[in-house]
Amino acid sequence: MTADIEIRNVSKHFGAMMVLDDLSLSIKAREFIVFLGPSGCGKSTLLRMIAGLETVDTGEIAINNERIDHLPPGKRGIAMVFQSYALYPHMSVRDNMAFGLENIGMPRDVIDARIKESARILEMEHLLERKPGQLSGGQRQRVAIGRAIVKEPKAFLFDEPLSNLDAALRTRTRIELAQLHQRLQSTMIFVTHDQIEAMTLADRIVVMNNRKIEQIGSPMEIYDRPATKFVAGFVGAPAMNFVEATLDRSSRNATARFADGVSVHTEIASNQTIDGKCTFGIRSEDVRIVAAGQGNADGVVDVLERLGERTLVYARLGDGQQIVGSDVGNSRVAVGDKVGLAFDGRKSHLFGETGRAWHAREV
Amino acid sequence: MRAPAISIKGRAFGDRVLLALVILLSLVMVAPVLWVIGLSLKENAELMANPNSVFQAPYTLKNYINTIGTSSVFVWVFNSIIVSGGLTLGTLILSSLAGYGFARLNFPGRNVLFVIVLFGLAVPEQAVLVARHQIFSMLNFHNTYHGLILPGLSASFGVFLMTQYFKAIPKELDEAAMLDNAGRFRTFWKILLPLTVPAQATLGIFTFLGAWNDYLWPLISATKKDMYTLTVGMASTQTNFAQSEGIGFLMAQAVFAGAPILIVYLFFQKYIVTAVSGAAVR
Repeated sequence: MTADIEIRNVSKHFGAMMVLDDLSLSIKAREFIVFLGPSGCGKSTLLRMIAGLETVDTGEIAINNERIDHLPPGKRGIAMVFQSYALYPHMSVRDNMAFGLENIGMPRDVIDARIKESARILEMEHLLERKPGQLSGGQRQRVAIGRAIVKEPKAFLFDEPLSNLDAALRTRTRIELAQLHQRLQSTMIFVTHDQIEAMTLADRIVVMNNRKIEQIGSPMEIYDRPATKFVAGFVGAPAMNFVEATLDRSSRNATARFADGVSVHTEIASNQTIDGKCTFGIRSEDVRIVAAGQGNADGVVDVLERLGERTLVYARLGDGQQIVGSDVGNSRVAVGDKVGLAFDGRKSHLFGETGRAWHAREV
Repeated sequence: MRAPAISIKGRAFGDRVLLALVILLSLVMVAPVLWVIGLSLKENAELMANPNSVFQAPYTLKNYINTIGTSSVFVWVFNSIIVSGGLTLGTLILSSLAGYGFARLNFPGRNVLFVIVLFGLAVPEQAVLVARHQIFSMLNFHNTYHGLILPGLSASFGVFLMTQYFKAIPKELDEAAMLDNAGRFRTFWKILLPLTVPAQATLGIFTFLGAWNDYLWPLISATKKDMYTLTVGMASTQTNFAQSEGIGFLMAQAVFAGAPILIVYLFFQKYIVTAVSGAAVR
């Protein structure tokens, strides 16, 4: 079972506070969608509205072209995995999985068969008689997913399900979730504030901020062609470098001029941009560390972060702004060194005062 | 290697001192109980002659036989069981429902109502005794089981305790149950109520103990001998000289009255400890 989900002009208030403002979104069947955004952006509220745990103030939500926003949660044909797993502590794993099916009067033999199959998929046959208190965090997570699978829902909703796991287990579970999606071919909506989870799991990412959707796109679209300055800064680690600049639009491609006189020739068409102040943005991997005097600008190294395959170099420009560049793993640069920073004009971005972004023609 | 050995020795010594202290404190706590049991096993005449004879044989079960031989005792125990059991059951049902309501339902005036319930904790029984007596007289509730049970059902403490317990249960469980197609009552009955068992046990024990030991209201409401509870009945058997002349008999009655409570406590003590330590539910 799978489902198209349509969210049309949905708004939500908690008292006088607006938490979602006129959101619209189409989710295709079998798609893995990730709602990504900072705390308080409304992503969990949107998920809970799809689940039926929050009411919809205005707008509508439809699954397979049938409005569901007036239906109680249990009648929507969806399953949800909570951040805290929300397993019933006094019930065995088997009973946890059976509870929802018993409530709709499903025959015992069908329930048993579904539990068996789900336990097989998740490799947890040996856990069925245990209670949640006797399980590790990862096992509980698995049971929570199992409880969702047995319902054979039209769509799975995940509310930050990996945030309670340690780093190693989180990585493993992430891969397992991706495999599960491939196997079940079901629509999945996943809420997270972790961009790595979003980038690795999603078919499409919905970046949310301040009650609104900032951008919807594939992970690489979001990364390479962020629609706004917020998206550019939120996605990617370390965050994109931003430098205040003025635009020179006299030639075919725009040139960004920093306050200290540094110029960067971008490959962004001048006629796309508008006059005035803007912000120049570039990711750390697009700033090469070269010898002093040989790049677009020179800086003094503040901090080095050695990540193994590359070294992040935090260099301070003459006007005090910090730029993060990337060097080889065994970089010989040391803190206090004067280095050159070479910006890749093809990978640079410009952001207007409203936050709107312009990119090079091809990235 | 030496240093840890010394510290282990030091710790062992500390443990022994702690053990000795615990034994000493236990003796202080248990001594009165042992004294009561000792007195109940002695002839009255012997105790009159020398109270220290409690430490010397012979011992006898005569006082217990006399207590059991008083036919009314069985009626009083039965009455106490009905009243205490009924009150406990009623309190658990009402407190659980009210606690769930206060913790989980949104309704107008909820907070005001909860404060009113809490005010009930501050009203002493003596303050409402006369009014309650009058009302129960008018309703012909005196000398009935419901007349003995009803006043205890307005259990502010129970409602407060259960409200706090229900509040401590994560709301995600309710939400998971909603997604599992469970209605509100099924969620209450199958998911939330089982999680409050430690609180139920604590409340049940405290209510049962309170009702079993209650003297004031049964003394007023139960005026007929066959409606006496154990406390009122036992008091009625005491004469002016019972303290001196029938001490062994009195103590046997005390043991008899206390035994059911002791048994209840022995069965449920882990819940009391859990609840008092605040470790339940989590």
